[in-house]
Amino acid sequence: MTKLIFVGCLSKEQYQDTINNAVKIIQKLDPEYEEIDDVPCCGSLLFHTSTDDETNIHVQDVHNWFKSNDVSDIITICAGCYNYLTRYYKEIISDFNINVKHILQFIAEDGNIEKLNLKYPGKRLAVNYHDPCHLKNAVNPILNEPRKILESIENIEFKEMENYGKLSLCCGSGGGVYSIFKENSDYNALAIFKQMRRTKLLLTSCPFCYTAFKRIYDDRKNKVRTPIMKFEDFIVKLMEGVDPLA
Amino acid sequence: MNEKGKELYEEVKSKIARLKQEGTLEKQFGDFWKLGCLAKYRSFDLQHLYEDSAREFINRYKEQLTKMREFCVENLEELTEKCIKVMERTCHFKVYYAKTNKEAQKIFMDELGDNKVIYKSKSNEAKDIGIIDVLKENDIEIKETDLGDVINQLFKYELPAYSLGPGVHFLEEEVSAKFNEVYGLNLAPNAKAVVNYLRETYRKELLNDVKVSLTSANAISAEDGTIILGENEGNISLLTRATDKHIVVIGITKIVPTLMDAVLITKIQERINYVSMAYISLISGPSNSSDIQGKKVEGMYGAKEVVVIFVDDWRIEAAKKDLIYKDFLKCISCKSCNFVCPASRAFGNVYASKYGLGGCMIIRDYIHQGLEAAVRDGLFLCTGCENCYNWCPVSVNIGEILKLIKREATEKGLAPPPLENYKEKILKEKNPFK
Repeated sequence: MTKLIFVGCLSKEQYQDTINNAVKIIQKLDPEYEEIDDVPCCGSLLFHTSTDDETNIHVQDVHNWFKSNDVSDIITICAGCYNYLTRYYKEIISDFNINVKHILQFIAEDGNIEKLNLKYPGKRLAVNYHDPCHLKNAVNPILNEPRKILESIENIEFKEMENYGKLSLCCGSGGGVYSIFKENSDYNALAIFKQMRRTKLLLTSCPFCYTAFKRIYDDRKNKVRTPIMKFEDFIVKLMEGVDPLA
Repeated sequence: MNEKGKELYEEVKSKIARLKQEGTLEKQFGDFWKLGCLAKYRSFDLQHLYEDSAREFINRYKEQLTKMREFCVENLEELTEKCIKVMERTCHFKVYYAKTNKEAQKIFMDELGDNKVIYKSKSNEAKDIGIIDVLKENDIEIKETDLGDVINQLFKYELPAYSLGPGVHFLEEEVSAKFNEVYGLNLAPNAKAVVNYLRETYRKELLNDVKVSLTSANAISAEDGTIILGENEGNISLLTRATDKHIVVIGITKIVPTLMDAVLITKIQERINYVSMAYISLISGPSNSSDIQGKKVEGMYGAKEVVVIFVDDWRIEAAKKDLIYKDFLKCISCKSCNFVCPASRAFGNVYASKYGLGGCMIIRDYIHQGLEAAVRDGLFLCTGCENCYNWCPVSVNIGEILKLIKREATEKGLAPPPLENYKEKILKEKNPFK
């Protein structure tokens, strides 16, 4: 039986540090989980761009890969992978019986937060969290977990955005739109920054949202002063006693 | 490289470029629309008009409404039949059932007869059914009565508009200046001056000169045939009373089982959009009197005749064959999904079709004009975030329908080339970003 860390193709190509951090967190909580090199893409974009036949063949290929590697459990880092694996794979593969979790779900499981020994080293840090569409719209939505984690951390003050949970705004980059019309996320990601409420840091658990936010943050003409950080990177900083803003 | 996909991609990109260009109608509309969406989005949770917020009001009825609309879709033919019977027998409406838009257009033109002028309210259904196009083709003068449409006509604004407030993107001083220019007036540069001018002039015309008027309806009750029309200006009240013939052109999906369902839909449309509906008309027959010896005479002070043209066109087929847009049959046309849609917020009248703004209207264009039209309208700007679904009062998943249309477009080689590349990479290399 293999317990797989499903890193997702965007992180694999662009956010190796985040993968390392996610692996650090997951393996601290359960050392049996492992990252395997040649994991195929979940194929989320195919659901917007391919025929049923093409999509089904790809999903079947991925499932065969899971079977050939004897995968019994999956933890995804990417919000999109979690959504598609739990929503569509079960529809397409009748005997899909792999236990799929998102990393935030796993961290929020009983006893795990305590094991990570999280504490903000400074006096107090107020943070916002942006709910990505792929987690809020999932068959089993992940809404309480990030809040449970953040509210449990000493010296972290968690505040809700103007719109949050099921009603949070979309960053405008999903469905392949970021690669073809960046104007969508350029408007919407900035709109989300403007929904923050007097906090010092914006956290997200989706690499696609992060990419859109980072582009806005890096463009100085937008005058966004609040940095954006991926949840895993934030958690590891706290595990190591380092100020995430330093 | 797919040439058609590339061409359509470039076309959408050039429309988006106009959004950033000073002086274009796309930018003017887009700047207003962004603020409008923000205000609408925020207003969902405000409580200063009522004891509850719009969101609380909608959530209270969402399950009931969704079930009711599902029932309507599954019983479309039966409800239509029932409604037509009661309308003819009890309401004394003249009722037509048109299988296609073409049939409806012919019936409409026959009913219009020799009249060369039609006075109309805002009517998205008339656009969907192609009545506006056929009126233009036949050189019939279209007299808009909703102030927003009047403004758009004056400005010759023909890009997609915000159906609840067409023309609202024009500044107050621009509007009064336009009236001054067109009618040789000297109105003060404010909204009140324009409204007062129309009250003093156009209102008289509406009270005295209307022979044939056109409206659609917010909803129609199958149990008693009542037509419900909500409005704030009073133009619909005039058009439905001070006319000889009131023609209602409407898709059969506007029929709901009971009068209370119809009222609820109308109130939902009011609350969800945070608009004022000063008047809600329940029309159950032509004007009449039985005051002389109990002899009923139709055509007292109000409309002499009410003609209802029900149109099927794409609707029953979508329900029966479970077409990809079947879920859209549930839509009550509240348009609120636009405010929560990232693509609509960002792209205004560029993410739109000739029928109006947003994903819903792109679906209509897909139904009537096909895939290419939908791609040209900005189909691929949809992120699939499903905010539309999360907020829809009757749980229509517009995002899911658009996703299926995108898949069809990709299959036909109409997708933006970068997306096709990603697809190929996933299928061949199992990683789109390699």
